[in-house]
Amino acid sequence: MAEAAAGVLYRRVRNWSWTALLLAVLSFLVIYPTLMLLLGALTGSNPVVDGYHWTDASLDNFLTVLANPNVHAALGNSLIVCTGGTIIAVGIGLLFAWIVVRTDTPGRRFVAAASMLPLFVPPLVAGVAWSILGSPKTGLVNAILAKIGLDWRINLYSMSGIIFVFGVYYAPYVYMFTASALRNMDPALEEAAEISGAGPVRTLFTVTFPLILPAILSGMLLSFIVMLGIYGVPAVLGAPSNISVLTTYIFQLTSWSPPRYSTAAAVALILMLVTGALVWLQQRLLTGRSFTTVAGKAFRPRALRLGPWRWLTLALAVVYLFVVVVLPTLALMVAAFRKFLFIRDIPSLFDEKQYSWIHFQRLFANQVTINSIINTMEVAVVTAILGGLLAFAIGYTVTRTRLPGRRAVDIISTIPVAIPGLVIGVAYLWAWIGLPGGFYGSIWILAFAFIARFLPDTVKALSSSLMQIHRELEEAAWICGRGTLSTIGSIVLPLARPGVVAAMTLLFVLAIRELGSSLFLYSSGTIVMAVQLLGYYEGGNISVTAAFSLVQMIILAVLIGITNRLTRGAAAGGIGRSG
Amino acid sequence: MSAELKVSGLGKAFTAGRAVVDDVSFTVAAGEIVVLLGPSGCGKTTTLRCVAGLEHPTEGEISLGGEVISAPAKGILLPPRLRNVGMVFQSYAVWPHLTVRQNVAYPLKTRGLSRADMDAKIRQALALVDLESYADRSVTQLSGGQTQRVALARAMVYEPRLLLLDEPLSNLDAQLRLRLRDELRRIIKAVGLTALYVTHEQTEAVVLGDRIGVMRDGKLLQLATAEDLYNRPADLFVAGFTGASNVVPGTVRAHHGAFGEIETASGARLSAWLNEGTPVGERVMVAVRPENIDLVPAADAPNRVTARILERRYQGTHTIYHLDLYGARIEALEMGTAPRHAEGGDVTIALPPTLCWAYPAAEIAP
Repeated sequence: MAEAAAGVLYRRVRNWSWTALLLAVLSFLVIYPTLMLLLGALTGSNPVVDGYHWTDASLDNFLTVLANPNVHAALGNSLIVCTGGTIIAVGIGLLFAWIVVRTDTPGRRFVAAASMLPLFVPPLVAGVAWSILGSPKTGLVNAILAKIGLDWRINLYSMSGIIFVFGVYYAPYVYMFTASALRNMDPALEEAAEISGAGPVRTLFTVTFPLILPAILSGMLLSFIVMLGIYGVPAVLGAPSNISVLTTYIFQLTSWSPPRYSTAAAVALILMLVTGALVWLQQRLLTGRSFTTVAGKAFRPRALRLGPWRWLTLALAVVYLFVVVVLPTLALMVAAFRKFLFIRDIPSLFDEKQYSWIHFQRLFANQVTINSIINTMEVAVVTAILGGLLAFAIGYTVTRTRLPGRRAVDIISTIPVAIPGLVIGVAYLWAWIGLPGGFYGSIWILAFAFIARFLPDTVKALSSSLMQIHRELEEAAWICGRGTLSTIGSIVLPLARPGVVAAMTLLFVLAIRELGSSLFLYSSGTIVMAVQLLGYYEGGNISVTAAFSLVQMIILAVLIGITNRLTRGAAAGGIGRSG
Repeated sequence: MSAELKVSGLGKAFTAGRAVVDDVSFTVAAGEIVVLLGPSGCGKTTTLRCVAGLEHPTEGEISLGGEVISAPAKGILLPPRLRNVGMVFQSYAVWPHLTVRQNVAYPLKTRGLSRADMDAKIRQALALVDLESYADRSVTQLSGGQTQRVALARAMVYEPRLLLLDEPLSNLDAQLRLRLRDELRRIIKAVGLTALYVTHEQTEAVVLGDRIGVMRDGKLLQLATAEDLYNRPADLFVAGFTGASNVVPGTVRAHHGAFGEIETASGARLSAWLNEGTPVGERVMVAVRPENIDLVPAADAPNRVTARILERRYQGTHTIYHLDLYGARIEALEMGTAPRHAEGGDVTIALPPTLCWAYPAAEIAP
């Protein structure tokens, strides 16, 4: 009897100690920084000078920040540019989803690829490229317009400039959701409308679009959420004309002297609350009633015959690809390889004497560039390995075991979905800047912040690959006499390996791109590529900035190519959800 | 209102591939229900979708009430919305974002009716399918059978010239299917619609159709009343498909009017219905249904023969005997709960010549 009771007790302790370990790790990564952010928002103190004191926390500090007109302006600007950007994104995304899934446009595979491509362009690089193209005085587009005698000018350093860049680069979010909803829709629903006497346009607006409305709204909300958390684009395009949005305003607060850490925390909290509400809304839409699940069969594709109009739809896709990828890349190349960005006339644009590698030489002559690349790789490797292992442990515990406390593990690991990268940066700053020990300012704090930021997506990806492994495969190993750990090592891990490898490489790519959280956590010794790129841009050297942008684009293109190989084309979705 | 449907020489071939529908011709008289019956992939649904205008035929001509609605050779192709036909889809395709009333109202809205006319028609249609009290429900709250009736009401509310039904009962459970198929025929006949109905269920076809067309590999093999189909199948496939599972091989030895004298493998001769064009000496297959074998024949019955019972399978309400007959193994069916013959014994049976059908063996496709 006593022996049996001891056995039960032992098992209980063992089970709890595992979930307790996971909960401790998650507390360290997610809960503690979030609480410190809350503390920061509620105090008026500076943790570097004053240390942490819960005693002087009060709602007044937060309310003071809420009443600040600068905060109102930033919040208002954020809402305007995100709303405008979302409207454009919905227009483009929905149009291309329809073109790809429902028409006989030639080269639909090309159109589908073009619709996803912008996801691979980091927001900061897109912002830099469009500032080269569209700055009011020296922008390449304006220079060319002037040379050919047109009076019309564009100005990307404006609200509408940010809206434009947001809209065209975040259209893929709407596209992803609506294209798959259209693919899963029973074509008979549209055929029934045609039989009933409705023409193609009427069918589109009375049947097709209402049916995929949940997907449209969901994609719309996601693109809005991502735009809200983006720092690179508004930093590059908004700064010259003093346009602040929430993200750029938060960073300004921390770079003042003395830094306004508590105000930054309060504004970050506002950003987090808005994002959280939108994420909640989006999740409700996704789990709510979906119109598009009709039957479990594969539907035969239904293509509307566009006649000569199909060339117009193809042309739209070509123009889109030109605007989001070709033109910006050309602009970066011109800026990076021309000795002087000034363009005297059109022929000089093609004069090879004007081009050289000099800016690249200057870029790599700077030791900081090399350091930033090395640091980035180090952070990315740590993030990929530790993040992948943690996500596997959490995914396995949540989906395959009945351990006590696994619900809590599941919920806490999902929290970062609602926290923009930049807010995670502020939270980590608050959590560690006032403590001794050198964690703040090390490579590790960057890696841990990234792990926390991308945890929900990594866990989700790994859980779905774990769920594909039939339970009985594991049970068979137990029957053969293996223990839990041995079974994981010999059966589960080998079977889930493609998913684990894919998740790790994706983490690697995401860590290299990440800017928002790095901004607050790097030190002079741990500067990363994205931050250094922004540094070059703000230093005013456009040519070196362009050269570094190209270097980063090439590194990312190679890595994404590898990821795509490993994940069989799932890289877009992975990057998509994290911005 | 109801119009005659005339399909002639209809063909549909997808780019690079064999024809899905191959030279199909038939006519559905105004107010008649014709059922296209066949195994999956036989081209019946494609034929129906060509009539609807959802699929574009590559050959032939379709006319409705004398108006040509599809003739690829002449470049005529009326889009579905202008054909004024109704259709019930296999998945029903009832729009989940609309209520029952909105679903039924949809086709009327595009036709510019007055509010009062519309309401009257909707009420009439819903009454016909017995859904009046569900008018303002969301269709996602309905059962399978109710959803099917919404689809039917929507297809009939604008009094189309022709009603098309694509396996409308296949998504329902067996009991409901039995009830609804009688119901379906009653409603279609009450409105007097011309209807073209596609199914792979024989009993459904027999109950619902005025005439049945059997299709295979894109060809229409036979279009006849159910009684003709069961008693005079046009070829071995139709015979087998409708349940004549016994096949006895033999050779034609003589013609006697509509019948032929067939020598079987065992050397015995049997009289069977035979096409007069089949030459003497031709190898044939004689098909006969298990339930048409006479187990208590009159003394002077033709094709009277004694057979060995190889196996007896008692089925409760009937018994199936496997007989060694003319060198082939055939089944015979005896109704009643008490079997009269034992396994291993001999039984004298007769094969009524009008219910034995001989077909040239060469016709049998692989």
